[in-house]
Amino acid sequence: MGGHPGGPGIVAVRGAHATMSGEVDVCVVGSGPAGLAAAAAARRAGAGRVVVVDRETSPGGILPQCIHDGFGLEEFGEAFTGPEYAERAAGDAACVGVEFWQGTTALALGPGPELVLVGGSGRQVLRPRTVVVATGCRERTRGNILLPGTRPAGVFTAGTAQRLINVMGVLPGRRAVVMGSGDVGLIVARRLHLEGCEVEGVYEILTRPGGLVRNVVQCLHDHGIPLHLGHTVVEVHGDRRLEGVTVAAVDADGRVRQGTRRRVPCDTLITSLGLIPELEILRGLTDGTVDESMRTGLERVFLCGNAAFVHDTVDCVTACGRLAGRAAARHAAGLRWPRRVARVEAGEGVRQVVPGALSELAEAARFHLRLDVEGFDVEVQARARDRPLARWRLRAVSPTQAVALTAGPARLERLRQDRTLAFVARPGKEEAGGRIHRR
Amino acid sequence: MIIGAGVVGCAIARELSRYQAKVCVLERESDLGCGQTGANNGVVHPGIDPPPGTLKARLNVAGNAAFPRLCRELGVPFRRTGLLAVVTDPEEAMLLPLSKLRAEANGVKAEVVEGEDLRRLEPALGPGAYGALWAPDAGITCPFRLTQALARTAARNGVVFELETEVAGMLVGRGRVRGVRTTRGDYLARWVVNCAGVDADLVAGMAGPPEFTIHPRKGEIVVFDRGGPAVGRVLGVLSLKGDPHSKGGGINPAVDGNLLVGPGAREVADRRDTAVSADGIRKVLDKFTRLVPALARATPIAAFAGLRAATYREDFIVRPSAHMDNLLHVAGIQSPGLAASPAIAAMALGQLADMGFSAPSRPDAVVAPPPRLFRELDPAEQTQAAAADPGHRRVVCRCETVTESDVVAALRDPVPATTLEAVKRRTRAGMGRCQGAFCGPRVATLIARERGIPLWEVTRAGPGSWLYAGPTRR
Ligand SMILES: Cc1cc2nc3c(=O)[nH]c(=O)nc-3n(C[C@H](O)[C@H](O)[C@H](O)COP(=O)(O)OP(=O)(O)OC[C@H]3O[C@@H](n4cnc5c(N)ncnc54)[C@H](O)[C@@H]3O)c2cc1C
Ligand SMILES: Cc1cc2nc3c(=O)[nH]c(=O)nc-3n(C[C@H](O)[C@H](O)[C@H](O)COP(=O)(O)OP(=O)(O)OC[C@H]3O[C@@H](n4cnc5c(N)ncnc54)[C@H](O)[C@@H]3O)c2cc1C
Repeated sequence: MGGHPGGPGIVAVRGAHATMSGEVDVCVVGSGPAGLAAAAAARRAGAGRVVVVDRETSPGGILPQCIHDGFGLEEFGEAFTGPEYAERAAGDAACVGVEFWQGTTALALGPGPELVLVGGSGRQVLRPRTVVVATGCRERTRGNILLPGTRPAGVFTAGTAQRLINVMGVLPGRRAVVMGSGDVGLIVARRLHLEGCEVEGVYEILTRPGGLVRNVVQCLHDHGIPLHLGHTVVEVHGDRRLEGVTVAAVDADGRVRQGTRRRVPCDTLITSLGLIPELEILRGLTDGTVDESMRTGLERVFLCGNAAFVHDTVDCVTACGRLAGRAAARHAAGLRWPRRVARVEAGEGVRQVVPGALSELAEAARFHLRLDVEGFDVEVQARARDRPLARWRLRAVSPTQAVALTAGPARLERLRQDRTLAFVARPGKEEAGGRIHRR
Repeated sequence: MIIGAGVVGCAIARELSRYQAKVCVLERESDLGCGQTGANNGVVHPGIDPPPGTLKARLNVAGNAAFPRLCRELGVPFRRTGLLAVVTDPEEAMLLPLSKLRAEANGVKAEVVEGEDLRRLEPALGPGAYGALWAPDAGITCPFRLTQALARTAARNGVVFELETEVAGMLVGRGRVRGVRTTRGDYLARWVVNCAGVDADLVAGMAGPPEFTIHPRKGEIVVFDRGGPAVGRVLGVLSLKGDPHSKGGGINPAVDGNLLVGPGAREVADRRDTAVSADGIRKVLDKFTRLVPALARATPIAAFAGLRAATYREDFIVRPSAHMDNLLHVAGIQSPGLAASPAIAAMALGQLADMGFSAPSRPDAVVAPPPRLFRELDPAEQTQAAAADPGHRRVVCRCETVTESDVVAALRDPVPATTLEAVKRRTRAGMGRCQGAFCGPRVATLIARERGIPLWEVTRAGPGSWLYAGPTRR
């Protein structure tokens, strides 16, 4: 599992498998782009010993399996492949003196903070000054949506299929149906096609593709792979290996339209049903709510990257990691842990907003939102119970793309006037196709 | 010769392994416990349901009593949770004393609880719960671990397990079974025990005219992620109303912390039909979310269906064949067959003795609990294990914290796991919230390495269930 036949090798990392002990200022869990950025930023902000632990044997998180390009347009002004981006980020962290403990799993986290690690030289309890959790995402599975039918071999999540093909050199099947049109699903559809696996079609329950338009064109249209909008897979067939799936058209509420069921023979089903932040080690301790500097509810523990918010691009992930790393360095150096002074909630038209809290130290903040509205010229407001505190105008928005809103010192001062504020979004101009999406 | 390696076949094999006899278990699937044993709730029922006087009632109560010791001996998780059979409609409150009478007739401790007492026993119950019958002797166990431990112990004492070996016919002569014809050749046998679950009537039919029939009854179970509503008891529903075919089932914690909801009940024609239906899932969730409303916000991680081996008389059959002197049927073992299994095995041995079977006991018989998994060790033991064994430093399954050494141990078991599903049953790798998305390829890699085969020859659950098509182009 160590090699990455699909792309250039990751730089050899200094300090890998060093003795897992001693005083640690910042311990970052996860060596994806978020963790790498956090670690490097912590060092640059003056932290002494910064360690990254990751259960994989080489750094990069999900990136080594993303051999397509398009990573880092904002960060580096250049389009890299996933492995290239990972190599850059890992190299940068190594250059500023970050230590890597690869092949090490964080089993548990406790107040203190205290980390239980297993790997390298055994199992041990580490008490770093601060911990940054950057554990990424996992994928929603067929089990999560209770997809009916049999349970044969041949049903894979898109990420697993991507890993099989790009990292392990294994072809999952010969004729595939893809369920869900998120970016990962689209990219995997193309990959399967290029590897000689026939892709019968991509079925998307919504009336719009889940992924970027660019990916719909480059991954599907350019290769003649059909995209069926307003359709989904409703049943899985086959006793031992998958033999087929039943697909059907659905209405706006997700109910099957009468007479549209159709059986599609295939030996592989790829599910691309969305990503879920991996908060495993925070379970029972605190929820995934962070403040403007990615502090969690647990003292001296930070959360960043896709584990905090499912970002659209690796550039946002990197920026988010950097924010956490810088703050972690300051707290490792003795800065007092702040109180939370305001709660930030998602209101009408907004599905999710991060950060979900503001601390007493907040001077500026960058809010990441997923909206339920689409259209042009949309107004987003941050409101106290009875009045708007701040407004932003957005030229064009859609539920499938995250938006980032910045609040500088002046705006933030206003936002802190109330203990609870809610972000709301009004649908865009009607004539421009604006409407509210309900789920 | 035992046909079928479910919990019943394995329990009988274990009992027989105390004697100096040559014992062989034939199983069609690639692993133990692939039938009903692999698709149930893991509830060790107290015995309040079966009608008094039935074999089912007797064996259920005796089996329940035997569980704590058996599990301790075999290193299998078991917890006495107690069971609440809940009434949600005040008009049906008379069911409570009636059920109490039935329980007492079966010799089971039970009392009626209402109001405060009920909430204290189970705070997760919603406002709709009016009263309940409380049976403190109910418990939960892990059916996979139990079956594995029984088989492992039997194997260590010389019992041979022939997997992927389907019995297709019987060699008979002069009122006796001489042997069985299988997909892997003929086996001669002096005694044959039929524990073939849903197919026990077909196996019986190989030896003569039909003696009983089994009609499969399907039930769907939904598995919820850990960290959902904290249900501490086994919860059932007492009601006269509604679809008589949706009787039974409930909500119960599993020993590993997940919550199981179901099953429903529906007759099906096909003995292989374990497909989960949208309708089945909906019915089960609708029915039981009423008991624990917080379920509506919990995260499901999987759904599966099992087929109960029901006979028309709805009772267990543990008796010699009417046609063959040396053939014992252990059939119709539907719920609570898991709970009853220790008593079923004991009764089966008694029957065999009555039929003339005898053998000296084996003085050197051992007990062979499955190796403890890394996850089951306490912190100090984990530290030791990880220091001694690099394989315990590599976590293969992140959701259930299964290490490489846990998987390798399963692959080298006396009854070795050879497939992805078999590793899952033995270690829980793949049973967690990511359902194998992370560990699947990793476990497959270990199987390939241990067995010296290419990755694309590894299967999910035996022949035909190939996992991967082959290498990519480059
Ligand atoms: C399958 C998949 C495909 C994707 N494809 C693309 C794409 O093509 N383009 C794109 O822009 N974005 C893609 N993304 C989004 C991608 O997740 C982000 O761009 C970015 O990689 C997220 O960075 P991260 O550092 O937050 O998490 P990750 O890159 O996921 O890194 C998290 C790291 O944490 C480690 N970890 C987790 N838990 C533990 C623990 N307990 N102990 C030790 N280590 C742990 C993991 O092993 C992993 O290395 C994809 C995401 C997924 C899940
Ligand atoms: C949905 C559901 C929920 C349940 N919940 C509970 C519960 O909570 N508590 C409880 O006590 N009980 C429960 N039960 C019942 C319990 O699971 C069974 O009673 C028990 O597992 C029966 O075990 P068995 O060994 O007789 O049958 P099985 O496990 O079905 O084993 C029979 C074996 O015989 C094999 N076989 C069949 N034909 C052949 C052949 N021709 N050649 C070779 N091998 C063959 C099969 O492959 C199978 O492995 C439940 C059952 C179901 C379906």
